[in-house]
Amino acid sequence: MSDNERNRTAVGGTGEALPDLVELCRIHEIGLDLIGRSHDVDELLDQVLDEYEARLAALPSDALDARSGGPRPESARKLRGLVMFASQAAALKEKAVVASELKRRAAALEEANARLVAALEEAGRSRARLDGVLAALSSGIMILGADGAFLTANAAARDLAGAKDDTALARLIAHGVPRESEAEIDLPTSGGTRRTLLVARRAMPGDPESEVVLVTDVTQRNRAVEERVRLEKLAEVLRTLSVLSHKINNPLTALLGRAQILQARKSDDPNIAKAAAVIEDASIRIADLIRELAQVVRDGRQDAVDELLDMSVATPAMEKRQ
Amino acid sequence: MKLQAVREGRVVRLTVSGCDAIDNANAAKVKAEALRLLGDAPDVVVDLSGVEFLDSAGVGVLVGLFKNSRLHGGRARFCGLSPGVRSVLELIQLDRIFEIYDDVQTAIRS
Repeated sequence: MSDNERNRTAVGGTGEALPDLVELCRIHEIGLDLIGRSHDVDELLDQVLDEYEARLAALPSDALDARSGGPRPESARKLRGLVMFASQAAALKEKAVVASELKRRAAALEEANARLVAALEEAGRSRARLDGVLAALSSGIMILGADGAFLTANAAARDLAGAKDDTALARLIAHGVPRESEAEIDLPTSGGTRRTLLVARRAMPGDPESEVVLVTDVTQRNRAVEERVRLEKLAEVLRTLSVLSHKINNPLTALLGRAQILQARKSDDPNIAKAAAVIEDASIRIADLIRELAQVVRDGRQDAVDELLDMSVATPAMEKRQ
Repeated sequence: MKLQAVREGRVVRLTVSGCDAIDNANAAKVKAEALRLLGDAPDVVVDLSGVEFLDSAGVGVLVGLFKNSRLHGGRARFCGLSPGVRSVLELIQLDRIFEIYDDVQTAIRS
């Protein structure tokens, strides 16, 4: 039912089918005036309600009393005007509800937008902090996207790999180390030496398509490991030499003693005296060698050990030639 | 005529009793007392179950309470309407403007 139909039905009991045209025009002008004075629906509704209240106050008190047999013609005219304002107020109220809901949603959107902006700013600050941490790290870190495509790398990664551009760096990693594994890559340096990098490719937590690649220079570490192995071997050789010298020294002392006894007996057989002299000389040389060996063990020097071992190996052959 | 205001949560329930009608004879007194009891309460439920008849002055009281709630950023709800009161509000189309409920609890929960 339209407002006009509703109005006619509502006041139909007054006996007049159409509202008075002059009054209708006047109400229309009042409505236009109210609209012109306010663009806010709520405010406009308040003004229409004020007008409604004023017109209500102007109604005779028996105008709404059905028991009195219906309103008189003058009251009916005022009643029609009142109903016209009621229609306007009802329409405005519906719009006010819609406007209020729109305002509420706009406020919610604004709030959500503010939270989003704050979250983006925080994300920006987090990103800046992360970039700072990455830049400060001595270890190289690279981020690879799907299919090993290069996304970003910190300065250390570029320095360590010595790659002139990021694409070359990514290619080097992707070709040298399979996904989800780690391996060492040997690279020549600008100084002509070689550098060993330990490269570990790991899936990015929360983003399995991406990878984080850790690049660590292990050249010094590898050298240190080699040196430690060498020192351990040297220690083992020295320990063996120490044991050998100790074990040889005891029978040697007996051998030297017996040779000296044989010489002291003044045997008639010259061969025995000569043999005793040779045994004594050889024993003394062995004793000297053992003293040198003991000294080497005390010093713990690799070159001395090597020299001694060379001499030990060379001596029998030289004597044989003599 | 007696008016009673009771706070129920965020809502103040205003009950009118002791008189069959709000009309030209008592409207000004009812309105003044109601506004005094409600103060600046924004959300109001007006229980009219004790009222049988309203004339234009009585309707003016209800419009005044409705505007007062709007002024304080809230809502006025009306309940317990007798057939006579309901027909008057429908005649002047206030049923399209007011929030009208069958009983107090429904009005408070709305």
